[in-house]
Amino acid sequence: MAEDLVLDTAIRDWVLIPLSIVMVLIGVLRYFVSKLMRSTQVPDGKIVKEGQVIVRARNLRAAANFIPAKSFRARRAYFSNEENGLLHVPKGQAQNPQAQMFSDPNMAMDMMKKNLSMIIPQTLTFAWVNFFFSGFVAAKIPFPLTQRFRSMLQNGIDLSTVDVSYVSSRSWYFLNLFGLRGLFSLILGEDNATDDAQRMMQMSGFGFDPTKNLGAEKDGLDIVQHEWALPKFEQRAEAVLRKLVS
Amino acid sequence: MAVGHGDSSSSDKKPTDALNDLQTFNAENLQSNMKVIYYSRTFLSIIGGVIAGILGFNGVIGIVFYFLVMAVTSAALAAKAKFSVHSYFDSWNRILLDGFFGGLMSFVLFWTFAYDIVHIF
Repeated sequence: MAEDLVLDTAIRDWVLIPLSIVMVLIGVLRYFVSKLMRSTQVPDGKIVKEGQVIVRARNLRAAANFIPAKSFRARRAYFSNEENGLLHVPKGQAQNPQAQMFSDPNMAMDMMKKNLSMIIPQTLTFAWVNFFFSGFVAAKIPFPLTQRFRSMLQNGIDLSTVDVSYVSSRSWYFLNLFGLRGLFSLILGEDNATDDAQRMMQMSGFGFDPTKNLGAEKDGLDIVQHEWALPKFEQRAEAVLRKLVS
Repeated sequence: MAVGHGDSSSSDKKPTDALNDLQTFNAENLQSNMKVIYYSRTFLSIIGGVIAGILGFNGVIGIVFYFLVMAVTSAALAAKAKFSVHSYFDSWNRILLDGFFGGLMSFVLFWTFAYDIVHIF
């Protein structure tokens, strides 16, 4: 059935546009609130030191072939020496569970704050939409969907003969929820708390950072097979020049 | 053509050297380039959504239009990188396919928005 419903202009003015504007404003507000509420965490000196050691070890691994074999081995021994090597701490010390426990209160608070700051506005807005804007057709989506989506998209509308393209305002809310993420990333820069997946990854990644990475870096450093590139530089230079000339 | 041949011959003889060649990408610059791609795609998918809505595309044609816009984005990005993709990114796939479907939701939102405002006003 392709009849075109004529929808009231007032719906455009008082439902679609205000809902979008409210969601954009709430997103901006949430961004600033989360920025203000972010606890100014004094970075723990030990964790920062470990992070820097890891960065140095990673650089060594990446550029291993540019230094002679003996100096590479000397540097590697400095890092992974059994007694006082910088990377060899995991087994003996009880630092790891301690680091986890220490970072837990701060990180747990941060995670909870971020979770709340995401969930509460969403819940409130959803309740507001349901209360005020239910029971009428709000918009028409330009592409056809099957009948199975009817119950999902049209919950306020109790007529079953209306085309599935005509949706209620709840589905307009969800469409806004997903679609405005792109807009937020443009106007707010990268660090906005609206992307769930990024936040989850960030949270889960940072908790394990100091503890397991040391062992991983040490293993990685041990694995590296050193092949000094200097003797072959002349041949490489010849190859590059050939490429340029030909 | 010459570039590809040169690379393959050097990679046969000295695999680690070829690896050294490929690894010397400044990570920060690479990341900033990826962000540029992401922003361009998001922005163009929003604009494309508004255009699709104003022109009154219905159904499948709209989705085809989205893919068209994404293809134009890829072509424009490749042209901006003067087609020497390997000096800015580590593979062709970054320019062509990365973030292809990321802008879909924004496209649909603005498509619906513009379509409704213009046609069912």
